Amino acid sequence: MSSLSKPWLHIRLPVLESFRSYLNAPVLPREKKYLASLPVLIAGALSFQLLSGLVLSLFYNPADAFNSIQFIDRSVNYGWLIHAFHETGATMMFGAVYLGLLRSLWLRNYKAPGELVWFLSLAKFLLLLLIGYLGYVLADGAVSFWSLANAIAGAFSLSGVPGGIGVWFFGGPDGAGTLPRLAVFHAVLAVAILGILLLHQAARRGMEPTVARGVGLHPYYTSQIFVAFVVYALIFAVLVFFAPHFGENPLNRGPANPLVLPVTVTAPWYLLPLSNAGHVFAGVWGSLFAVVARIALLAALPWLDRSAPGNPPGFLHKFLVFVLALDVILICIWAVQAPSFIGGILLAFFTAYFFFHFLVLLPLTTLLEAR
Amino acid sequence: MRRLIFAAFALACLAAPRAMAEDTLNPPHWQSEGIFGTYDKAALQRGFLVYQTVCAACHSANALHYRDLDGIGFSTEQIAALAAGVKLPTGPATLDDTFKNPYPDPQAAAAAFSGAVPPDLSTIAAARPKGTLYIFDLLTSYAAAPADLSLLPGHYYNTAFPGQQIAMPPPLKDGQVTYADGVNASATQEASDVAAFLTWAATPNLDSAKEIGLRAVLFLVFLAFIAIATKRKIWRETV
Repeated sequence: MSSLSKPWLHIRLPVLESFRSYLNAPVLPREKKYLASLPVLIAGALSFQLLSGLVLSLFYNPADAFNSIQFIDRSVNYGWLIHAFHETGATMMFGAVYLGLLRSLWLRNYKAPGELVWFLSLAKFLLLLLIGYLGYVLADGAVSFWSLANAIAGAFSLSGVPGGIGVWFFGGPDGAGTLPRLAVFHAVLAVAILGILLLHQAARRGMEPTVARGVGLHPYYTSQIFVAFVVYALIFAVLVFFAPHFGENPLNRGPANPLVLPVTVTAPWYLLPLSNAGHVFAGVWGSLFAVVARIALLAALPWLDRSAPGNPPGFLHKFLVFVLALDVILICIWAVQAPSFIGGILLAFFTAYFFFHFLVLLPLTTLLEAR
Repeated sequence: MRRLIFAAFALACLAAPRAMAEDTLNPPHWQSEGIFGTYDKAALQRGFLVYQTVCAACHSANALHYRDLDGIGFSTEQIAALAAGVKLPTGPATLDDTFKNPYPDPQAAAAAFSGAVPPDLSTIAAARPKGTLYIFDLLTSYAAAPADLSLLPGHYYNTAFPGQQIAMPPPLKDGQVTYADGVNASATQEASDVAAFLTWAATPNLDSAKEIGLRAVLFLVFLAFIAIATKRKIWRETV
């Protein structure tokens, strides 16, 4: 009889029962911080991007991309609002992603046994960067047109496996077929990343210590996540209505012109920490090296960090992570300036410091603090 | 009614600078600037007159339809009359036509201006850093070229243009248009008005965005207080 006392749906869908126990099991530690809700916010932001992107894709025409966006902005009912949601949604999502990465560096939770969680968050970051870049070139503005043309020309000049991947990805020289192809990649990858988010969440939950007299996810942490969500939404609303093009190159809001190269070809802010490579490392191989090397450094963190597992981060470590964040911000600021002698030197210096931090400072300080 | 309340609120925020007869030219500024700034429809209509009389002779604005002009306060009858006065190759323009393109193709336009195609003006104010001010500066910064500079053929000296040499002849002069509202049509005033119009042309939804945005932000601030109070109440009950 006891099974009949359960709700109708729970008898027929037993997974709901385990979901409810997942929500209510009082096993979570009590002192989780607000920033621990970042992955949930990112998942929410991604769903929001999928929905607004779905609406945009109904009107977007990759064969006449710039004009179809003008049509969305001017002639579709509230098309301008959905477009602004999608654009600012990307800014907010990357804000959360970068904050999450910084938090991982700060807390050192990439150390064993957290490596898998760290790798999954890096995979999420990389895939988001690729999707963000594709969205940027889909706008087909005066700047992103040239960025795409350079990327394709670069991919075609490569030999071997990287060149093969580039040719397969772009399908052929920059032309009428390129944007329709990239629009499909933009959408499919955005759905595919949901899988990585689920894996990441499961791995994070696995890492969490279960405590005997803890609290349940609901209502304790759901109420905390709700506070974080409202603050996130508030920042989003301020940006979307009062600074809808935050961190973008204004030149990109004009139509593409295959005969006119803009003074500065700069990506949106969230691509800058990796895309400034062309200023520092010459050539296509150089740019590729710079991106791959930086990702490899992040992926090698569990081994570059020499501290013992469970060792709390010391003052020097925290200070250096703070300096690194400052360094990345300075890279972004100088990457969007018009090319100059001083700017080139500063960019090279800040980029060198990035490598110096991971290859020299981090192993040294963690060794020092481990003793 | 809600629009009225918002308008009253917006007006209250602007009341201080509006109390005296405002000089928007020294230093150049526009009513749409700032967090609560909304478009000055009178200036937009004056700017459209300048655009239609002067700019439209050489520049296209392909993203704009004549029907969009209801956004600057024209009635449908006014727009229909205005469009009927525009001769397209297919006959008089209608509400759903895009603004007339003065040249049949870019080559013809380039041939008329020493190889420089007059850019499309639909998004120009958004596509330049500080676009509104840039357009105003560009239109008011023609000057005699320094003695040591030999200009390219068919070019003019303009201190606001990147490179200082522009293929567009000085387009505005005093009294080039006659404003219906009696504002003195100095070249500076015309530049200010057409900059306001082109800003509207690039971001026609600015007023709606600010109106919705103010409500959204107020709502979310209240919601934030409620969320924090709820969270604290729930956590107080833990044992």
